[in-house]
Amino acid sequence: MTIYTPIAQPLSPDALSKTAPANDSGHRFDAGRRWAASIELGFESRSEQLHTVTRLTRRRHQGPLRVQRPFYPEGKTGCCHVYLLHPPGGLVSGDALHIAAHVGAGAHTLLTTPAAAKLYKADSHGVAWGQHTHLTVAKGATLEWLPQETLAFDGSRGEQTTTIDLEDDARCIGWEILALGRPVGDLPFVSGHLEQRFRLTRNGRPLWQERQPMDPKHPRFKGKWGQGGASVQATLWAVGLDDEAGAVEALREAIPAFVRWAVTRRRGVLLLRYLGNERNEAWALCQQAWEILRPRLTGQQAHIPRIWLT
Amino acid sequence: MLTESTSADLSLLGLMQLVSPALPIGAFAWSQGLESAFELGWVTNEAELGEWLEGVLEDGLTRCELPLLIRLQTAWANSDANALAEWNDWLHATRETAELSDEDTRLGLALVRLLTSLELMPKDGLMPRDPGYVTVFAWAAHQRHVQVRQTLLGFAWAWMENQLAVACKALPLGHTAAQRLTEQLRPSLVKAVDAAQVLEDDALGPVLPGLALASAHHETQYSRLFRS
Repeated sequence: MTIYTPIAQPLSPDALSKTAPANDSGHRFDAGRRWAASIELGFESRSEQLHTVTRLTRRRHQGPLRVQRPFYPEGKTGCCHVYLLHPPGGLVSGDALHIAAHVGAGAHTLLTTPAAAKLYKADSHGVAWGQHTHLTVAKGATLEWLPQETLAFDGSRGEQTTTIDLEDDARCIGWEILALGRPVGDLPFVSGHLEQRFRLTRNGRPLWQERQPMDPKHPRFKGKWGQGGASVQATLWAVGLDDEAGAVEALREAIPAFVRWAVTRRRGVLLLRYLGNERNEAWALCQQAWEILRPRLTGQQAHIPRIWLT
Repeated sequence: MLTESTSADLSLLGLMQLVSPALPIGAFAWSQGLESAFELGWVTNEAELGEWLEGVLEDGLTRCELPLLIRLQTAWANSDANALAEWNDWLHATRETAELSDEDTRLGLALVRLLTSLELMPKDGLMPRDPGYVTVFAWAAHQRHVQVRQTLLGFAWAWMENQLAVACKALPLGHTAAQRLTEQLRPSLVKAVDAAQVLEDDALGPVLPGLALASAHHETQYSRLFRS
């Protein structure tokens, strides 16, 4: 059994705070219970002995969210790779995760996770969990947000939001991959409610926003205009490409066309979407697209984080 | 003299003019992903088309264009430049694909051109610089003193007629079948407007992942009649 750290003070308003404020002891199991974890990371580009190096300069956490020491697998002046750890490995009713990262001017950071995040069945009170990610990227900076997939088990209830605020010419590539139900064994997602929300802005103006509520009892869950019965979905975004049309062409040339994925570009954001039933297919698609897009976005070849291979 | 501010009849006729397929803005050239849904074999007959349209109405228009018309027409009534710019940006940001974004932008500009020729544009410089179709439509409705609820009904009606015209050309769907679907969808349009009128800001946003995928596929569809 995982040990959760009870929160010290009530959180800012979120989707979970529908009832009484959290109990400081954490020892309650009614609809008002909440356990929170948060982490706040800051990266800065620094001049050190004639080199420019991206450093992790800020790291504040509360509860079970951590980062390992940064890696520089692409060389000291290259991208700063950081693994975000959530030792419990999953979210249960009442959990609230807040992840914030700021990439300062000119810095280059890749964030990923060591394993899939699991969303467990809601408790008997149907209490939701929440995961809220806020990424800010300053001018001249690049952020790669490449978490491993999220596995939502039947009966899971919660909301996952990803907000990305860019300044001037900041660049960002990222993805969210979501698999519903247990991949092994026949345990489909037939109850519960999830919602994913994305919002990407540049200098405060919205560039792209999307919401994906997943309610297995709603007609859109099976309907072709909606989820179409897909149990795995992925969305990859890239913003800040010099040649978007060329990038779209390159993806279409390299990745065999099939009905479960498509790429488009609109208002400065390239979007690749997958709707299917295979986690591995979705992952391979996103990874291949990232390998094609990364040199076009950053001038650097893709460098696969070693943790993906373990 | 009869004016729209005093004559509800004139407002009603003004709305009918605005939603008529004869309005020269080229709406007939766009299918909103429907042509791709035919090509992919997702919509192959009258019954499946009915389901698709009911779905897009509930998960698309009800959560996006219709509630935005309320907010935009109200912003026009209040001469609220900030609200106009923000909701116009909001709409652009929700467009899922190149073609859906293009459709909205081009229809908006075509309607601006038409209103300019008719000397019906706002004089106060409130029109956002990059106006989407919904933003301009809301202006035209406001300018003609159309009641907000009627604006929504008119917009939804024009959407349905245009989608059925696409199906008549590309599925193909018979004209009697199109009228059967109109009969089926008329009450749904009313329900959609009812639902749109009570949505809070936080509940807004279309939920059409399948349509978005179809629309992106349309970009590489070999043979096509429509621009979206």
